[in-house]
Amino acid sequence: MFLQLTLSGVSQGAIYALIALSLTVVYRSTTIVSFGHGDFVMAGAFLTYVLVVAIGIAFLPASLIAIVAMFLLGVAFSRGLIGPIRGGPHVGLALMSISFGFTLRGIARTVWGREVLPMPRVFDIDPIFIGSVVITGDALFIISIVAVLLVVFFTVLHFTDIGKMVQAVYQSERGARLIGIDVERFHNFSWGLGAALGAVAGVLIAPISLLHPDLGASFLIKGFAAMTLGGFGSLAGAVLGGLLLGVAEQYSGAYIDTTLIDITAYLLIIAVLLIRPRGLFGRKVVVKV
Amino acid sequence: MHDVLLKITDLHVSYGKKAILRGASFDVRNGECLTLLGANGSGKSTSMNAICGFVKPVSGSISLNGTELAGKGPHTIFKQGVAQVSQARDLFPDLSVEDNLRLGAMQRGKGKAAQVLADIYDRFPRLAERRRQATRTLSGGEQQMVAIGRALMSSPLILLLDEPSGGLSPQFCEEIATIMDQLKSEGVTMLMVEQNLNLAFRAADRFIVLRDGQVVDGGDVAAMAGDHDAIVRNIYL
Ligand SMILES: Nc1ncnc2c1ncn2[C@@H]1O[C@H](COP(=O)(O)OP(=O)(O)OP(=O)(O)O)[C@@H](O)[C@H]1O
Ligand SMILES: [Mg+2]
Repeated sequence: MFLQLTLSGVSQGAIYALIALSLTVVYRSTTIVSFGHGDFVMAGAFLTYVLVVAIGIAFLPASLIAIVAMFLLGVAFSRGLIGPIRGGPHVGLALMSISFGFTLRGIARTVWGREVLPMPRVFDIDPIFIGSVVITGDALFIISIVAVLLVVFFTVLHFTDIGKMVQAVYQSERGARLIGIDVERFHNFSWGLGAALGAVAGVLIAPISLLHPDLGASFLIKGFAAMTLGGFGSLAGAVLGGLLLGVAEQYSGAYIDTTLIDITAYLLIIAVLLIRPRGLFGRKVVVKV
Repeated sequence: MHDVLLKITDLHVSYGKKAILRGASFDVRNGECLTLLGANGSGKSTSMNAICGFVKPVSGSISLNGTELAGKGPHTIFKQGVAQVSQARDLFPDLSVEDNLRLGAMQRGKGKAAQVLADIYDRFPRLAERRRQATRTLSGGEQQMVAIGRALMSSPLILLLDEPSGGLSPQFCEEIATIMDQLKSEGVTMLMVEQNLNLAFRAADRFIVLRDGQVVDGGDVAAMAGDHDAIVRNIYL
């Protein structure tokens, strides 16, 4: 029972980790909290759905196309809508991000109404039994994809020159300009990467959940809860926070009350802010909104 | 005839409505060290930042070997061979000394990076000892060496130094002066802002004075030797 719950929690948490990481990528590079990020997740899932169901492309190529498309959309958003107001008040940047998210949501809604769309099953991997623990094909798929992505992400960040340049921009934007880095282009790329990572999360949840235009909202909150728990702005903290949140939801649902699953994220945010505002790996708690 | 490397003509720079530079003009010649003097707030750092593209000039020309830089982005100007050691240093505090230095050559001078890095460690043995240390753990003087080293990594055509001795002890000022002597003997062109007049005049070939947004005075350091008082009066009164 306990192991089974932990496994489900990690599988769910892997998605939260990805979303929290994608939010943090944007936040660390641009200091903007991307309030529209849940809708990038939704758009990634919907795009995959359209490509698979309406156009008939296989799931893997469809998801790759969706992820690349979301990367380009993120870059376009940064160049077209954030770029012109960068340097302005922070609340304007946050509002721009919210408005763009709701626009994506609106587009999804005009096309699909309020229908809830089931995605055809993609992976018919037989579940694996280890003792009394069942590992479903979906869980295996999600956990391994996220694990590979995280290993690649953190290896690049810490052990390559490109990663060192990214850290450099994070630590001093002026310093980065002094060594000839095109910081505006870096911001655009970060929005693209953030949107693409969010889209990966969307692709991963598409086959296992019902799709609807508002699904981004709850994932956004899970992402914020994971960031808060891990320490707002910390990349590793976002990942750990996501995994812990996933597991916490399962435990509280099973051992206390199933209704708790839905509000674990909110309770966690409240508790962390009161008890340890800087989270597990907290840097400064200054969040400009 | 000296050949001019950097030519600033009728430069106007403002922050919002506040005009800082109002028609400043001066040249930096190949291989020389030119010192820019002026009172606090006279626009010395602003001049440096305008040359680097950190602030966009309202009008005027900044030409490097005949290439117009005014209006270009900082990364483009850097690639043309302009590197600045800024007043605040702007290092990467959590990265190691070596990473800070190596990053200086990522966008320019990559081919020569290994050789230049070895040269910098020769020049600053203290940095070689601390190469794996996070830069934030270094003393102010050591950090200034990293900042100078990082700028040199790109093998710039011109090195801008904004108060290299700022906040440093006399002993460190002496080290900085020695380094500048070496750079000059190697033919590196430098434009320096420096309040410490001993350092300013020891390293510089010529000086100019910025006042009310314009270059009001200048001359040969050698010709003014011993007459620092006259210059000081000129700048600050
Ligand atoms: N980013 C900015 N926004 C608005 N005003 C600025 C900005 N940077 C500088 N200033 C103003 O421009 C003027 C010139 O500043 P600058 O830093 O160029 O002076 P400076 O000659 O380098 O002085 P110091 O000797 O103190 O370093 C100052 O009055 C300063 O307040
Ligand atoms: Mg200054």
